[in-house]
Amino acid sequence: MGSVYALLGIGFSLSWGVMKVINISHAAFGLIAAFLAYTLLQAWGLDPILSIAVSVPLLFFAACFIYRFLITPITQAKEVIVSSMILTFGIAIILENLMLLIWSPDPRVLTTSYTSKVIIVGPFYFQYPRLAGFLMASMGVGIIQFFLKLTYTGKAVRAAWQQPDAAQLYGVNLKRISMITFGLAVASAGAGGVCMAYLYSFEPHTHSLWLIYLFLVVIVGGVGNVLGAASAGLIIGVITGLSLAFLPYQWVNLLTFGLLMIILILRPQGLFQSEV
Amino acid sequence: MLAVNDLEVHYQELRALRGVSLEVTQADLVALIGSNGAGKTTLLNTISGLIPAVKGQVSWRGNSILGFSADAICQEGIIQVPEGRKLFSKMTVGENLEMGAYLPTARAYIAENLQMVFDIFPRLAERRKQLAGSLSGGEQQMVAVARAIMARPQLLMLDEPSLGLAPVMAADIFQVVEDLNQRGITILLISQEVLHTLTIATYAYVLENGKVTLDGTAQHLLDDPRIKESYLGL
Repeated sequence: MGSVYALLGIGFSLSWGVMKVINISHAAFGLIAAFLAYTLLQAWGLDPILSIAVSVPLLFFAACFIYRFLITPITQAKEVIVSSMILTFGIAIILENLMLLIWSPDPRVLTTSYTSKVIIVGPFYFQYPRLAGFLMASMGVGIIQFFLKLTYTGKAVRAAWQQPDAAQLYGVNLKRISMITFGLAVASAGAGGVCMAYLYSFEPHTHSLWLIYLFLVVIVGGVGNVLGAASAGLIIGVITGLSLAFLPYQWVNLLTFGLLMIILILRPQGLFQSEV
Repeated sequence: MLAVNDLEVHYQELRALRGVSLEVTQADLVALIGSNGAGKTTLLNTISGLIPAVKGQVSWRGNSILGFSADAICQEGIIQVPEGRKLFSKMTVGENLEMGAYLPTARAYIAENLQMVFDIFPRLAERRKQLAGSLSGGEQQMVAVARAIMARPQLLMLDEPSLGLAPVMAADIFQVVEDLNQRGITILLISQEVLHTLTIATYAYVLENGKVTLDGTAQHLLDDPRIKESYLGL
């Protein structure tokens, strides 16, 4: 479960860290991927994992388009963070209503042939959907990490974040790199959204709940820090999981966000050194 | 090769450059000297495409390059080693060098250029896997120059490469700059170490309050009484 938060949170953290764009619509894009997975499953029995092959490229291009025509103009603004929040908040509202129109406000669940199956390994038992979510999310995190550390474009993303001017002096086209980063961030939200849909039921405004977890992941993990976000996702997953086991449900969020406040007071820069 | 004509640049409300003209000929080592705030860095950043000009011209091999984006200027072979080094400090030395060769034209020669860089700075070969931010000031300056070499510059512009370095280190960097020039790279060097700069330069410009107040061959400037008085303290 934690790895799913991580996958959902990494893209959010990247666009915040690299481009100073706090993408309020990040989770809404993830939710669209979840609904797409639902529709593809209902209509053609397509496995949700395979639906990612459709939704991720779709979201990537949609996000590049949005970046090019809506976000580029505001990157000239003095307060990019604030303007980007307002802009993407608007996008989130549009997306939410779009989802309401298409899919209606009913809660949905992804029910596959293996939803209720479990694997038992020694004293542990794993539910199939959780396992699938975990594996997919870990793979997603791995792919992003591979992209950032080992590809030229990924390195350019990191360089542009650390020293935008110097990166440009050595031939990095800042606008293009930002667009690609934004596209990838949103695309990873799509994969994360499908993983979330494996675990929880969802409806068109579920994204605001997911969004809170995104902030949690970024704040605990450190802005723009991929491994930080991954670890933060795991920590949050473990905390919510454990507290669910011992405490009534109402207490879980109280505990999680209590933790968030303590972290904000003690280590406002996040638990982990930023390293991208 | 590079010609700057009547360039005017405003920095916020300030007129940072007021009609600057300057020329760099192929294979030259041109020095640009002047006190703090004279506009030297602004000039380089305008040539590099980071700052827009209000009026004037910058031409490169006969074509205007004013208004080009910074990455397009880099593509033209005009490479800047920025003031304060501006390394990618959370990337390794090796990654910094790779970023120098980011453009496909430079990437094709990456192995060959790495070899050359490690010949010039053997210490960087040892530090290759270390984070650039963890190196000493002198080593960081080596990385900054090495990163620029990786970009295969035709014109290399260095902004205060010796600033904040120990004298021995600074002398090394000047030596490297001179070597690079002898390898055929045209150089535009900004420095406040006037004596040292003028001894390796072929031609020099003095920039004061956004204007070129003096120019001539380096030897000529070394003998100029105004230079002796204001910059050499003689």
